[in-house]
Amino acid sequence: MRGMGSDLLLILYTAGFAVAASVPMLIIPLIIAPKKPNKPKETQYECGQIPSGAGKLSLMMQYYAYLLMFVAFDVMSMFLFAWGTSISNAGLGGLLAVILFIGILLIPLAFTLYHAARRELW
Amino acid sequence: MIRTLIGFLIRIVVLVLVILVLGLILISAAYYLIGPSLPITPSMLINPQEALAFTFALMDTDFFRIVVFPGFTFVALYAAIAGLWERKLLAKMQLRVGPLYAGKFEGILQPIADVMKLLSKELVIPKVVDRFFFILAPILTVTIATAAVAVIPVTERWVIARSDVGVLVIFAVLAFFPLTALMAAWSSNSRYPMLGGLRALHQMVAYEIPLILSVLTPVVLTGSLNLLDIVEKQSSLWFILLAPISALTFYICSLAELERIPFDLPEAEPELVSGWLTEYGGMNFGLILGIAVYIKLYVLSALFTLLFLGGWLGPQPLPPEFWFIFKAFIVTTFLLIPRGVFPRLRIDLLLKQSWARYFILALINLVIAAAVVLGGFKP
Repeated sequence: MRGMGSDLLLILYTAGFAVAASVPMLIIPLIIAPKKPNKPKETQYECGQIPSGAGKLSLMMQYYAYLLMFVAFDVMSMFLFAWGTSISNAGLGGLLAVILFIGILLIPLAFTLYHAARRELW
Repeated sequence: MIRTLIGFLIRIVVLVLVILVLGLILISAAYYLIGPSLPITPSMLINPQEALAFTFALMDTDFFRIVVFPGFTFVALYAAIAGLWERKLLAKMQLRVGPLYAGKFEGILQPIADVMKLLSKELVIPKVVDRFFFILAPILTVTIATAAVAVIPVTERWVIARSDVGVLVIFAVLAFFPLTALMAAWSSNSRYPMLGGLRALHQMVAYEIPLILSVLTPVVLTGSLNLLDIVEKQSSLWFILLAPISALTFYICSLAELERIPFDLPEAEPELVSGWLTEYGGMNFGLILGIAVYIKLYVLSALFTLLFLGGWLGPQPLPPEFWFIFKAFIVTTFLLIPRGVFPRLRIDLLLKQSWARYFILALINLVIAAAVVLGGFKP
């Protein structure tokens, strides 16, 4: 029986092999591909126009509220995983507690959804 | 004319030398890792019996698993076949012919031709990009996609890491994809990638929660996070029959995670050229769109197969490996079909749908499954 550490190592080996396999794919074109740089080729793409201004825009994040919701509900889903693996031990009381927990979180969900849809707010 | 020919020949010779050196390094690394545990003798060259024994011994090592069967080579091959299948399928759906010339029969060698073309294409890297992160992003995308493959069992025998928390590992790995998309977008220093990257971030993050919750239903039904256990508990009844709503939610959310067509806002071609991939060309592009995206497709369809379709379980005469790959390929086909059918959604509708519909649907099936388990049902 193997421990947790060796599992992690195997996953890391797999990822490492992917690096070892993909780096040569970027080196081979450097050797066999032609190289004819010119000025338009080296600028960023902009549908035939000559690009002007900064590429890194500072945008107004209209959908920022949806991103904020993720932070809260990701934690919630991890709690649910802890409950899901021990469901038969938690019993009916556990199920009711979880339903209460989700129910409480659904109220802020509805509130956030209402405000996230208001365009004039963001 | 002659000068170009000589230049070409020199390049080919250099390439062969590089491949030889790389191969030697790889082989010596492989020998260092697995050599001492294997009986390698010179007499193997003349005695086929010994060579066969050696091959079987090799197939039981971790190295073989990582490099060949459930690991990288198998997945890359699956990616190539899925890519060709997607192009042919969509072409037939839209009354086109698709790839036709490479390989005489229905363009069957098209993936090889594509790889050869991409490898011999100039790597154009614009002057304005952050070079380090720009080159790192495709490599990282492939790496992360492959890392998720490590915990996916093809059968009881063919699995790289027998993790007790396999489901969580896959989601921990999948959570890196928005980061690589944003890394590619930000380092490109251009406007289309920037907009596409932000959209990718919003979309992948919003659809991760319903995806996680729909996976929770099989976990509740089995009480285990181990993918091998989850499959074994389905020997009497596949979970798609017990949790159809979860299966549907998982399917829709994996479409969104993969940026496939009803949800392909990050790469919306008519609006954003190619989204966060706009500045990438040649093999840089090939690594992301040719390999990483299809490996992710494999990961999600394999996960659907394991959680809802009974994994490798199937009628006896055919081997379990066949059943797993067959089911995964059918799920892949279902993930590809919407691209020929649906129009694209608007981003605010997309985000609202994720929270207001799929999140609630996943919760409903979760509560039903919990009630079924507490009612005394034992899969």
